[in-house]
Amino acid sequence: MIDPAAAGVALPRTEFEGVAARPAQSYWSESWGRLRGNRVGVGAGALVLVMVAIAVAAPLLATYVIHHNPYSIDLSATFSAPGREHWLGTDEDGRDTLTRLIYGAQVTLTVAFLAVAVSLLVGGTVGLVAGFYGGWIDNLLMRFVDVLLSIPAIYLLILLTILQPKIGPIVLSTADPRTLAVIIAIVGWGGLSRLVRGEVLSVKNRDFMLATRSLGASNLRLISRHLLPNVLAVMIVSASLNVGGVILTEAVLDFIGLGIQPPNPSWGNMLSNSQTYFYHSIWSVSLPGTLIFITVLSMNIFGNALRDAFDPRLK
Amino acid sequence: MLARYIVRRVLASIPTLFGVTLVSYFLIWVTAGDIVPGLEINPNIKPEDIVRIRHNLGLDQPFWIQYLNWLGLPNLAAQLHLIGGEWPKGLLQGDFGRSLIDGSPVIVHILDRLPNTLELTTTAILLGILLAIPLGVTGALRRGSKLDHALTGLSVAGVAVPSFWLALMLILLFSVQFKQWHLPWLPSGGAYSSYQGGDLFDRLLHLIMPALVLAFGYLAIWSRFTRSSMLEVLSQDYVRTARAKGMNERRVVYLHALRNAVIPLVTLVGLELPGLVSGGAVIEIVFGWPGIGRFALDRAFGHDYTAVMGIVTFAAILVIAGNLLADILYAILDPRIRYT
Repeated sequence: MIDPAAAGVALPRTEFEGVAARPAQSYWSESWGRLRGNRVGVGAGALVLVMVAIAVAAPLLATYVIHHNPYSIDLSATFSAPGREHWLGTDEDGRDTLTRLIYGAQVTLTVAFLAVAVSLLVGGTVGLVAGFYGGWIDNLLMRFVDVLLSIPAIYLLILLTILQPKIGPIVLSTADPRTLAVIIAIVGWGGLSRLVRGEVLSVKNRDFMLATRSLGASNLRLISRHLLPNVLAVMIVSASLNVGGVILTEAVLDFIGLGIQPPNPSWGNMLSNSQTYFYHSIWSVSLPGTLIFITVLSMNIFGNALRDAFDPRLK
Repeated sequence: MLARYIVRRVLASIPTLFGVTLVSYFLIWVTAGDIVPGLEINPNIKPEDIVRIRHNLGLDQPFWIQYLNWLGLPNLAAQLHLIGGEWPKGLLQGDFGRSLIDGSPVIVHILDRLPNTLELTTTAILLGILLAIPLGVTGALRRGSKLDHALTGLSVAGVAVPSFWLALMLILLFSVQFKQWHLPWLPSGGAYSSYQGGDLFDRLLHLIMPALVLAFGYLAIWSRFTRSSMLEVLSQDYVRTARAKGMNERRVVYLHALRNAVIPLVTLVGLELPGLVSGGAVIEIVFGWPGIGRFALDRAFGHDYTAVMGIVTFAAILVIAGNLLADILYAILDPRIRYT
């Protein structure tokens, strides 16, 4: 190579010379930047955060702001309309609807995020292992996923919720939000594992994987330190888009009486008896459903914003 | 070529079929497989009777023997004179087990309710297609207009709205309020009136609301899909050619563009084939529709485990069959798809 300056030849100025170089940015900070630019998406995300905050602070809010207990029955004030005493009215037992709604938010959001976390863990692990090892392991795992996805989710959920398996002295009852979340996750991780597996297959044969392997990295290290970060974005997007679906599933189970049991409030079981009370109060029928709708909508919009931020090509 | 593909596809779904039966049998076996503990606490039953009951029910056999008996494989083998002896009929002979409540064959109940379920789901899918295509095309033709934004908003909302709540709201409006306002109102549940009902008009009246709610869910996805597919097709060269040679806009849109735009929709609708059995379960429950979903829930509350197991297995088999059918349909409809 001849040094142009030494050779006394002036190289033509390139088009990009003098243009300030764009500072190097990591994939994550670049995506974060894109996400921040999406106003609707950020708004929806903020709304979900507000819901979470309200759910976490439910006992405080009930005691110091609303001054009602979600379980206290007042038969002299059943089906009261929204007003000064009960901001959003009362239900068939005179219980304060607003208090029950914010306690219901606790249940719904616990189930939703826990279920998604568990299915992320199970589905992610299965997808990573199946995609990375391939061969008979892949075959076995994916055939199992085929089987799982062949059983209609609603029937499998009905079956699992009535079985109430016992582990030693502990009865896993779906009246407990944590058990309900695990059952929903058990039914729902199949799709995610397929997605992760597909992503792993496209990443695992790239040169950097070969390079890492030839440096002597173990399989565990390859999967956890090199494959996982590359499929993480797909997992996060899919998880956030799943939250809405889980909320709807949980609401259905509570509504038909197989999930959270009264008197514990949940958005789904607050609607269980609504058909009986149509003539008494449209408030107790419309409010829980509206909340479910708003939450699922915000979560879906936020999930879409995340997808656009991580992969602008998909927009 | 096509025949070979179909045969391969059928053979490939057999392991899944066995997997489904194994999973559902295992679930019941591990949790509720031994009904004898309920007898053991009964002081009026002698211990030797319990042993006899267990033996008669085959509960003293190992898991895999019980499973094979449930499948009916030994019975099949005996029929073919491969093995001797008397074996119970099973799944392979169309016996989905007996109800724990009344001992009746589960398959009889299922087949009893299957027509109602199919009536609801097929109506909903047809409604969904019939509404989604015009809405999607309108959105695409008036891209960016207020109408387009409204349609997009509707489809985003349609995915987020809980279907059972939408059903409740429709009942509140069309059954409760309309009756109070002395308007023609719709029945709030069931598939037909039990008193002097059951003719076609009566059934249609009962079908409207559940079918609409179910169709709304499909509509939300399909109309958006039609819109984007239509937009893509409208920007193709052959559409420009058609316009350039002076063809009127109507013919361009409906004859040339729409035909190609709906091909991807066929795939999407095909995905709902498995949903024919299970897609309407929740709606059935809200409207008291006498279908499989309603039946499953009733039996679930009665702790009729074997009936629920039968329903789960039956529904899963139909899902596998539906997937198979959809795959074969694509292969026939779209010759570009070449399978290896």
